[in-house]
Amino acid sequence: MKRRCLRDVQTAVDYAKSLQTGFCVMNILIVEDDTENGRYLERGLQEAGWQTVWHNNPQAAMLTLSGRVFDVIVLDRMLPGMDGVDALRLMRGANITTPVLMLTARTSIADRVEGLEAGADDYLIKPFAMSELIARLKIIARRPKKEIAKGAITLHDLTLDRMKRTAQRGDLLLDLSPLEFRLLECLMLHPGQVMTRTILLEQVWGYRFDPKTSLVQTHMSRLRAKVDKPFDVDLIRTIRGAGYAIDAP
Amino acid sequence: MPSTRPSVLRSAVFRRVIWACAGFVTVAMTLLWVVSGTMLFRIDAAQEARILESITYAQEVYYGRGADALIDEEIADNGVLIWDDDLIYAVLEQENQLIVLRNAAYDPVAGFPGLYADVGWHITQLDHPEIEAPVRAYLEALRGGETITIAEFVPERRFVILEFAWAITFALILIVLPLALITGYLLSRWVFRRIDGISDTAAAVALGQMTQRAPQSDDYDEFDRLAGGINQMLDQVAALNANIEAVSVGVAHDLRTPLTNIGGRLELISRDRMDAAAVEDHVTAAEGYLSQLLGIFDALLRLGEVEAGKRKAAFDAVNLSDLAQGMADAYAPVFEEANKSFSAHIDPGARISGDRELLEQLVANLLENAVEHARDAAQVGLTLRRDDEKTMLIISDDGPGIAPANRARIFERFYRADASRATPGNGLGLSLVKAIADLHGAEMTLDADTPGAVFTLVFPSLR
Repeated sequence: MKRRCLRDVQTAVDYAKSLQTGFCVMNILIVEDDTENGRYLERGLQEAGWQTVWHNNPQAAMLTLSGRVFDVIVLDRMLPGMDGVDALRLMRGANITTPVLMLTARTSIADRVEGLEAGADDYLIKPFAMSELIARLKIIARRPKKEIAKGAITLHDLTLDRMKRTAQRGDLLLDLSPLEFRLLECLMLHPGQVMTRTILLEQVWGYRFDPKTSLVQTHMSRLRAKVDKPFDVDLIRTIRGAGYAIDAP
Repeated sequence: MPSTRPSVLRSAVFRRVIWACAGFVTVAMTLLWVVSGTMLFRIDAAQEARILESITYAQEVYYGRGADALIDEEIADNGVLIWDDDLIYAVLEQENQLIVLRNAAYDPVAGFPGLYADVGWHITQLDHPEIEAPVRAYLEALRGGETITIAEFVPERRFVILEFAWAITFALILIVLPLALITGYLLSRWVFRRIDGISDTAAAVALGQMTQRAPQSDDYDEFDRLAGGINQMLDQVAALNANIEAVSVGVAHDLRTPLTNIGGRLELISRDRMDAAAVEDHVTAAEGYLSQLLGIFDALLRLGEVEAGKRKAAFDAVNLSDLAQGMADAYAPVFEEANKSFSAHIDPGARISGDRELLEQLVANLLENAVEHARDAAQVGLTLRRDDEKTMLIISDDGPGIAPANRARIFERFYRADASRATPGNGLGLSLVKAIADLHGAEMTLDADTPGAVFTLVFPSLR
């Protein structure tokens, strides 16, 4: 999950490009003072097919924000002259509601809480894998989303009834545990998007630590044994080195 | 050990003793002389008043009834006009004043001729072969150049007081001050000896002899308390040092190994540049080592954060039953996958004050510890029991357990019961468990009497 390698980007990008759904050009503002990391971000996000503007100080970023709308902002926590959290408060104070993902080198829980309370939509600890960043940006980006029915989600021949908490594929009612249901629901709410191990841990289990055991893999393989194995077409795919995604064939 | 000792004369104790004694002597002498001076003044004033009274009376008689009346009544009342040296004794037996009346030529007319004085007050001696004691005399001029002089012996008490005051003064200067010097010297030497024992220890420890301890006597005085405190501190430092050494070994091994491996893989990548499959392989391996490395950093930082107690401010009511149930649901398949059976017995409604995220980490670490270290087909149990007083969380397996020699050390950082470090893990998981338990005021025990490892945590319940 924390591997930082362009090969990951390639996998994720190739995958993203191969999908018809869930892919369109996003405008991303990067605020990062470290040149090395800035270049890495720019290259990775551009290779994902997105447009980026990179500033190395928050003042310039504020100026740009006043004249242009972005889909999402990647904000470094430690910036010259101003703390990233202060910069974020300033943006929120100026009624800029663009989703913000904060990057930080600090791992303390208190720091993360402070960032989220200041109005960040997500938080990522350096070093991170590009695939993780891309997956998270896609989740928080404010884009016209396909209307998802409150009651049921359908993908190919798989239907999830969120009221009754049941899943059905074809004519077969799937016997899922509550955890497996939540896992499937999380995947189906973001069809065609890579859900990394960390994202799944956060959204399905609510865990913020990194289990040493193959917690996610174990549950995922059980889920796939029920959702995909009895059928001809696999819906859930493993994106190597990145995570999982569900999409129609 | 310092080769030169500071001189005793520079000792704070010595200097203070000297100053204190000098102050004491000064105050004592001032008091002494003020009191003595007052007493002398009062004695003198009383005597002068008596003499003046006699002078006044003599004047009254002289001016009222003439010189002869004065002579008859006051001087020659015993029938002798001029007193000789022997008669003095008789006179002095009856009264304590001597008197002499002289004419204008300063020749004695009546009284004791051996009494000489000038106008006004005088301390003088009598012209007498035997009497040497000083007298206080007053001479008053009368009409026609005549003079009358009246004298009284300076009282013995005056000399006694003076002698006493001088004796005390000398005693203070000659005895108390040297005594102060000696006391100060001995006292500072004693203090020096006690302090030297402690400072020698500190110097030795500074030079690396960590086993040195400050000497202590059985008196339990302030120096013993100081030495005791320093020894306690040194014990703590030694324990921390030992911990740091263990950590250094752990860091050396657990951080160097993946770094070396990454370096090796980088070298292989540059060598196998043409072979795409091999490069892919090396990159995957290097990434694995990197994430292992980052895992150690994260655990260390988390450990530091927990041990610093910063999270305590964010404590909230946590439903431990829900948390444990969630954990049990999440890990049950993991145990199954690892070929171990798992059962959970959870009392509902157990609430404690704590940090949800850290408590999840605690339970996860203990469960993962069981996944990794319990024998194949082991019975792993998660039990939560609560009453009004306390909430008990028990995570147990039935083998192989932890060897007695390792039990005390498994909560140390980087400690691995498996000395070859062949099994996965970084030796920080249980340290973190211990730190989180401590932060929550939970009592943690490792049961030694069962065949497997049984970790028991007792939290104070929240009502």
